[in-house]
Amino acid sequence: MKEIDELNMPDDVRYSDDHEWARLKADKVLVGLDDYAQDQLGDIVFVELPQEGDSFKKGEVFATVESVKAVCECYLPVGGKIVAANTALEEAPEMVNNSPYGDGWMVEVNPTDLSDMDTLMTNVDCVERLKGAA
Amino acid sequence: MHEQLGKKWLCLDLPVWEYTEARKLQAQLVSRIKDGSIDTNVVLMLEHPPVFTVGRRGGSKNLTVSEGVLRKAGIPVIHVERGGDITFHGPGQLIVYPIIDLRAVNMSVTDYVEGLEEVMIRIAGQWGIKACRNPANRGIWVANNKLGSVGIAIRHGITFHGLALNVNLSLEPFGWINPCGLKDVGATSMERELSRKVRMNRVREGVKYHFKAVFGVDLIMTRLSELTVSQKV
Repeated sequence: MKEIDELNMPDDVRYSDDHEWARLKADKVLVGLDDYAQDQLGDIVFVELPQEGDSFKKGEVFATVESVKAVCECYLPVGGKIVAANTALEEAPEMVNNSPYGDGWMVEVNPTDLSDMDTLMTNVDCVERLKGAA
Repeated sequence: MHEQLGKKWLCLDLPVWEYTEARKLQAQLVSRIKDGSIDTNVVLMLEHPPVFTVGRRGGSKNLTVSEGVLRKAGIPVIHVERGGDITFHGPGQLIVYPIIDLRAVNMSVTDYVEGLEEVMIRIAGQWGIKACRNPANRGIWVANNKLGSVGIAIRHGITFHGLALNVNLSLEPFGWINPCGLKDVGATSMERELSRKVRMNRVREGVKYHFKAVFGVDLIMTRLSELTVSQKV
């Protein structure tokens, strides 16, 4: 696994306790897995995404990713309705590893309450939390 | 806390345990490790009554007989959240379900899965069976036959499900499926490889020994009643 200092934790997204990221894009929120999560999981071979139109509360399981016979639950960092799912991941799940904050995005959410974003961590807080756990 | 998580894990030696009950117990342990009411990892060792389970991506397409045949044989088919495809569990197969907070012990999923395989390779080796990994599929193999399987699920960074090692079970039900969704592969057991009886309790003790060595931890034996009664262990 990467050392904490080697992790790519950009400052233009917010982070959940479970290492999903959320990026504000106009009034929508883009969601994916952060560099820590993808690195810990290893080579991702399958991504199961929700359907457009599905709604989830903050913290509910919205997707699963599978690596080396391990299925990992992913939790939506902001509640709302899925307006887009990155179906390209069905053919190329490795994009979650190769470009976690770019082509590896998972869903776009129309948030029920944008203030959910304020409950998430900044990159600095997230790295501090990781250091505390190490 | 994290130091303790890395050093001493609890271990429960359970008898033959219904699949759905064991699944509930695992879910409870995951919740309690997450909320801190249990502050160490827990390793369950047990056997299941006959049951087929199908992983997240698996389907009944890898049954080579109808579900009706299985019903007649009295063997349920259960769809579960772990990785992997279809497999069979039954008495004589050692099940190990480690409930491990991987983030707290700073372990990658790949290292964890390889660790589970290593435990099985070592126990097979202790009995003189040369088992290997196979790039085509996870688990451990003797030639084209699977001796042990791995399938895990991760919830809030905490693992459940685990490994299944064929010790001395009836292999007939494996003939009713394409194990792990693979064609042209079979299943074997320690007993079949050795052509002699293998005692499960000796394998259980051996697995504990190798588990401790592979993961660098001590296993503290406990009882289910102690785990469910005490809030802190």
